Amino acid sequence: MPKSQYVDPGKVFQPGYIHFNDIPVCRYNKTLAEEKAIYTKEDFLRIYRDMRIIREFETMLNEIKIKSEYNGIKYNNPGPAHLSIGQEASAVGEAYCLDINDFTFGSHRSHGEILAKGLSSIYKLDEQELYDIMKEFFGGQILQVVEGKEEIKGNIRDLAIDFLLYGALAEIFARTTGFNRGLGGSMHAFFIPFGIFPNNAIVGGAAPVALGAALYKRANHKKGIVVANSGDGALGRGPVLESLNMASMRQITELWGMDGKYSDEGMPILFNVFNNFYGMGGQTQGETMAFDMPARLGAGFSASQLHAERVNGYDPLAVIDATTRKKEILLAGKGPALLEVATYRVSGHSPSDSSTYRTPEEIEAWKEACPIAAYRKKMVEGGIASDEEFAAIEEGIVKRMMKICTLAIDDEISPRMDLAKEPEMISSLMLSNTSTPSMDTTREAEVLMPKEENPRVKQLATKARYAYDENGAPIPKIKLLGIRDALFESILDKFYEDPTTIAYGEDNRDWGGAFAVYRGLTEALPYHRFFNAPISESAIVGSAVGYAMAGGRAIVELMYADFIGCAGDEIFNQLSKWQSMSAGILKMPVVVRVSVGSKYGAQHSQDWTALTAHIPGLKVCFPATPYDAKGLMNAALNGTDPVIFFESQRIYDKGEEFHKEGVPTEYYEVPFGEPDVKREGSDVTILSIGAVLYRALEAADKLQADYGISAEVIDARSIVPFNYEKVIESVKKTGRIIIVGDAVDRNSVMRDMASNITEMAFDYLDAPPVVFGSRNWITPAFELEKFFFPQADGIVDVISQKIMPIAGRVSTVNESEIEHIERSKKGI
Amino acid sequence: MAQPVIMPRQGQSVESCIITQWHKKVGDSVAEGDILFSYETDKSTFDEPAQLSGTMLAILVNEGDVVPCLDTVCYIGEAGEDVSALSASAPAEAAAEAAPAEEKKEEIAAPVVTAAPAEAGERVRISPRARNLALQSGVDMTKVAPTGPHGRIIERDINAALDAGFVANTAAVEAFLAGQPIVVEEEAPVAAEVLAAAPAAAAEDDAMAYEEEAFNGVRRVIARQMHASLSEMAQLTLNSSFDATALMNFRAMLKEKGEDLGLGKISLNDMVLFAVSRTLLNHKTINANVVDDKFRFFKHANIGLAVDTERGLLVPTLFKTEELSLSAISAYAKSAAAKARDGKLTPDEMAGGSFTVTNLGSLGVESFTPVINPPQTAILGVCAITQRIREDGSVYPAMGLSLTFDHRAVDGAPAARFLSDLCKALENFELLLAK
Repeated sequence: MPKSQYVDPGKVFQPGYIHFNDIPVCRYNKTLAEEKAIYTKEDFLRIYRDMRIIREFETMLNEIKIKSEYNGIKYNNPGPAHLSIGQEASAVGEAYCLDINDFTFGSHRSHGEILAKGLSSIYKLDEQELYDIMKEFFGGQILQVVEGKEEIKGNIRDLAIDFLLYGALAEIFARTTGFNRGLGGSMHAFFIPFGIFPNNAIVGGAAPVALGAALYKRANHKKGIVVANSGDGALGRGPVLESLNMASMRQITELWGMDGKYSDEGMPILFNVFNNFYGMGGQTQGETMAFDMPARLGAGFSASQLHAERVNGYDPLAVIDATTRKKEILLAGKGPALLEVATYRVSGHSPSDSSTYRTPEEIEAWKEACPIAAYRKKMVEGGIASDEEFAAIEEGIVKRMMKICTLAIDDEISPRMDLAKEPEMISSLMLSNTSTPSMDTTREAEVLMPKEENPRVKQLATKARYAYDENGAPIPKIKLLGIRDALFESILDKFYEDPTTIAYGEDNRDWGGAFAVYRGLTEALPYHRFFNAPISESAIVGSAVGYAMAGGRAIVELMYADFIGCAGDEIFNQLSKWQSMSAGILKMPVVVRVSVGSKYGAQHSQDWTALTAHIPGLKVCFPATPYDAKGLMNAALNGTDPVIFFESQRIYDKGEEFHKEGVPTEYYEVPFGEPDVKREGSDVTILSIGAVLYRALEAADKLQADYGISAEVIDARSIVPFNYEKVIESVKKTGRIIIVGDAVDRNSVMRDMASNITEMAFDYLDAPPVVFGSRNWITPAFELEKFFFPQADGIVDVISQKIMPIAGRVSTVNESEIEHIERSKKGI
Repeated sequence: MAQPVIMPRQGQSVESCIITQWHKKVGDSVAEGDILFSYETDKSTFDEPAQLSGTMLAILVNEGDVVPCLDTVCYIGEAGEDVSALSASAPAEAAAEAAPAEEKKEEIAAPVVTAAPAEAGERVRISPRARNLALQSGVDMTKVAPTGPHGRIIERDINAALDAGFVANTAAVEAFLAGQPIVVEEEAPVAAEVLAAAPAAAAEDDAMAYEEEAFNGVRRVIARQMHASLSEMAQLTLNSSFDATALMNFRAMLKEKGEDLGLGKISLNDMVLFAVSRTLLNHKTINANVVDDKFRFFKHANIGLAVDTERGLLVPTLFKTEELSLSAISAYAKSAAAKARDGKLTPDEMAGGSFTVTNLGSLGVESFTPVINPPQTAILGVCAITQRIREDGSVYPAMGLSLTFDHRAVDGAPAARFLSDLCKALENFELLLAK
C-alpha cells in the first residue's frame, strides 16, 4: 500500500480491454543445417550421451523394481522409483543451457533432471574445480568409492560422471555414501555443488522453495537464474499458483528500484513445466485441469504473460532453443518466465502402475516417437556421426551403469547408516544448533539510514525498560518498552548485522505489521529486504525455505497463527525437513513469526503450538515477557535452525516485570529450551506456556492469599527444545504440577509435557500432572472467552479438584475425570 | 449468633496442629479468656483462650486430631442455639478430618485392633509421593485420613499422621498398601499413655518384654534432623581445653558479691555463651548456614542453646547476642530454656540460629562429639572441668571444649583458630568483659 501508487477511481472505471499476445506453441523449426552452426559434433554426441545415461539409469531402476535384477545384478529396492522414461530430451535440453550458477529445483520425478544438470555442470566446470568439489564433499568419501575402482584412468570428467551416478544411486538405495547419506532418497536427491537443489516428494512443493532461491539471488545481487521444475499436475496446487504470482508481483519492477537506487529487475526464475499430460493417473489436458495447455497460465499472471510458450520436449534441440531464450529474458531482468515442455512418460507413474488410465495404443505411439531414438536417427541421417559411434556410446553407458550399480549395492563399500551402533546418528542431524550471526560477512548490509537515526529507535530510547519505578509503582504501559518493541530491537539489529537478512509477510511494510512490531523498519530498509508479500502463506514460508537453502536468513510473518494451515506443507514438510534430509549440508536460518490472537473468534485466536511442535526438525518458542522475547529472538536469529516464533496479541504491550535491570539494550540471548522460574514456591508447580503466564501468576497470588498455598510458576518459554530438568526439579520439591496454556486441551503440548513429567518424576508425584488448557471448542466471542481460555480462578479450581482439595473452595469449572470421559465420548 | 473458632496458625511453616486437650465440653459456659483447648505443633504446645463469652455449642474435632490451620474447630454462641445448620455447612475438610477420629476412639478402647482398607484386596489409593513417604517413615497407615481427590492418600495426609506421632513400621505399611487385612499393635502416643498409666499390664515375666513408644513430634523432628545432619555433612570434631581459673574466679566473685546486683545466677555456661558471642563474628564461616551449596554468613551471633526437655532436645535461638551484656545473655538463656521446658516456644523462636552451644559438662562428660544442627556449619560442646597439671607441677582447672564443624564448609585450620580464639577469650575473661 505505498502512497506513491494512487488508486484513481477515474482510471479504475475507464472502459477498455485487456489484450493478450499470442502464445507460441511448438514453434521451433530450425533445420539441422542451421543447428550445425551452433553445436559441434561433440556437443551433438554429448546431448545423446546424456539422454542415454538417464535412460539407462532409469531402466536399471525399473528392472530392479520389477525383476529385482539388472543385467544379472540382483538387488531388491523397497524404496520409491518415480521414473521419467521418455522425458530425457526435456531434462537434457533444459540442463544444457544452464551454468554452474544456475540452480534447479525439481519434483518427485526428477532423476532425469538431477543427472542432466549434473552432467551439464561436469562439462562446464574446469577439471580442477571439479576434482576439488569431489574431493571436499564428505571428505572425499564418494570420490574414494568411484576412484578406487576406476577403469578409465586420468579423465576427471569421466570420473565425475561416475561420481554423479554413484552418489545419486547410493542415495536412492539409502546408503551413507549417497549425496545425502541416504536420508533424502529417490525423491529428495540433490547435489548443491553442481547447482542441483532439492527435488521434492510433495507435488508442487518445490515452486515456492525455488522462488525463495531466486529471491536470494535477486536480493543479494547474485549471478545466475533459478529453474523451478514441475509437472503439469503441480499446476493444480496453490503453492505453485501463489509462487507464479509472487514471483511476478509488480512491486519488484515498480518499487524495488527505489528511484534508481537499487535494481528494478524482475525475479530471475523460470517456471519450467514438464507437461507429460498425467498427474499420476489424472489427465491434466482433458480431465483434471482447465488450461488445455499449461503455457496458457502465464497470461493470467502478468502483462508479460511470463513469456510463456509450449515447446516440443521430445526434441532436445527445441528445448535448448527455448530454454536459452528464456534464460536470456531472465538475465535481461525481464523475469519471471514460464516454459511448457510437452513430453510424455512411457513408464508408469511408478513400477506398480498398470496404466489403467491410458490405452496401450497411446503408450505405443509415444514409444514409437522415442526422443533418444529419433535424435540418433536424425543425427545419423544428418551425417553428424555414424550409428556405430552411437552404439559405442551406448555400450559404454551400459557397462558404466553395471559398475555403478555393483558398487552401490555392495554393503561393504556402500553401507547403510548403522543405527544399532550409532543410534543417535539421525538425532544429531535434526537440528544444526549452530550460531552464525551473519550469513555473509563479506559485505555491508543495505540500509536507508544509520540505525540511531531511526524514528522508532529514538522513540524507544525514551521508554522505561522495567515495568516498575524505583518505588515499585507500576509505570503506565504507554511509557514502557513492550514485547513488540523488544522484538523490533532484536530484528532491527539483525538487519544491520547480516546483509542477507530479509523480512516479509502480509502488511509488513508501511503498515509496520498488523501489530506494529515492524513500525520503523520501512524507514530503515530498501524494498528488496523488507516488503509486503501477497496473501500467499504457502509462498511466504516456502520462499523463506528456498532463501535459506541458497544461503540467506529470512524472517517471515504469518499474521495469525491460525494461518499456519495455509502454509501447512511449507512448515511441516519443507522448513522442518531439509536440514536433516540433506544430512546437515543445508542450514535453515528462518524465523516464522506467528501471532496468537484473541477477541477475534474461532479462526483468529488459536494457539497452534502443538501442530508445529509435533513436527521433528522445528524449534518452537512462545515467550511471554519482553526480556524473553528479545533474548529468544536474538537466539533464533543468530541460529541456523528453523524457528516457529509464537507471539501473543494479548501481551504485545507488556513491559518487563521480572528482570529488575530491565530489557538490555545490548545483545544477549535467552537460550532455546530453558524454562524459567518466574516465581518460586513450594506446594504446587504451575507450568505455563505463552501468555497464560500472567493468569498463572494471578492464580499463584490467589492460592497464597486465600489458602496459604505457595505456588511455583515456571514459564516454558521454549517448547522445542525443552529442558525438563528444571521442571522435574520443581516437581521433586512440590510434588504437584499443573500445566496451563491457551491451546485447546486435546493433543496439546501441555498433554505431551504432562505425559513426560509423569514418566520422569512419577515417584515424586503426589497427584497426576494436570493439564488445564482451553476447551475443545471453537474460540467464542471475546465476551465469552473466559469460559474458553483458562483463567486464574479456574487454575485454582483445577488444583483443588484434581491435585489437593482446598477446603471451602467452590469451583467455577468442572474438570473432573468423569466430565472428561463424557466429553471425550462425545468428541469434545 | 454462633461464632466459629478456628485453629490458629503458629509460624509460617506450620500447616496443621494436633488438638491435645479440650478444656470445655459442649454445653459448658465459656468466659472470654478461658482456655478452650490445647494443641501442639511438631515443635511446641499452645493453649487457645476464648475470644468471646458464651456457651460451647459444638466441637467439630476430637483430641488427637490433626487439624489444618485456620479450620474451624468449634462454635461458641448462646445456650440453646441450633448449630446443626452450621455444622452441616462446615467445610467438608473438617468432616473428613473428623471421620477417622471416631474410628480412633474405638481403637483407644481396644489396644489391639484390626485395621485395613475397606475390603481385603481392595486397591489403596495413594499417590507415589505419599507411598514413598509412608514406606520411608513407617507411618501407621490405619491412622492416615485420605484428603486427596477420590479419597486418594496424598503427601499431606501421611505428614499429618506422622506429625500426630502415628508410626508403625515399614512392613505394616507394605501390608497395608498391598491391601492385606493387618493387625496392628496400637502404637499411637495415646496408647503409650495407656501403657504408661498401667505399667503392670506390660510387665510380663517374659525376659524379652519391652515397652514400645512411638516417637512423638519433637523426637521425630530430632530424629530426622540428626540423621540428616550426619548423613549429609562431613562432620568432624576438634577437642581442646582452656585454663578455667579466671572463669571460675570470676564466677566465685559473682556468687559472692553479685547477688545483690542480680548477677548471682550467671552460670559458667552463660559465660561461655558470652565468650562465644564475642568471638563468633570474627569467624565468618563458623557463624554461618549452608543452604544449597551457598553460604549464608550471619551478621549477628544468633546462638542456638541446646536445652534438654522432657519432650526431647529443643534448641531456642538467642538472637543478636553480640549486642547483649553478660547478664542480659544469662537472663535471655534462662528464659528461653524455661520456655523450652514448658513447651511454649514458637517455631519462629527456634529458627534463625547461626551457631549452637550444647553443654554436657554439667553431667560430667569430659569430651564428646556434638552433632551439628543443620543448616549451621558448627556446634560447640561445653565439657566438664577436670584437674590438670601445669609444667611447674601446679594443678589448674581445665574446661573441655568440643567443636564439631562441617568440613564441606569449613576447613580444619579456621575451625581450630576459632576454638583457639575462644579459649583465649575464656582464659582472659575479665579482659573480654572490659572490651
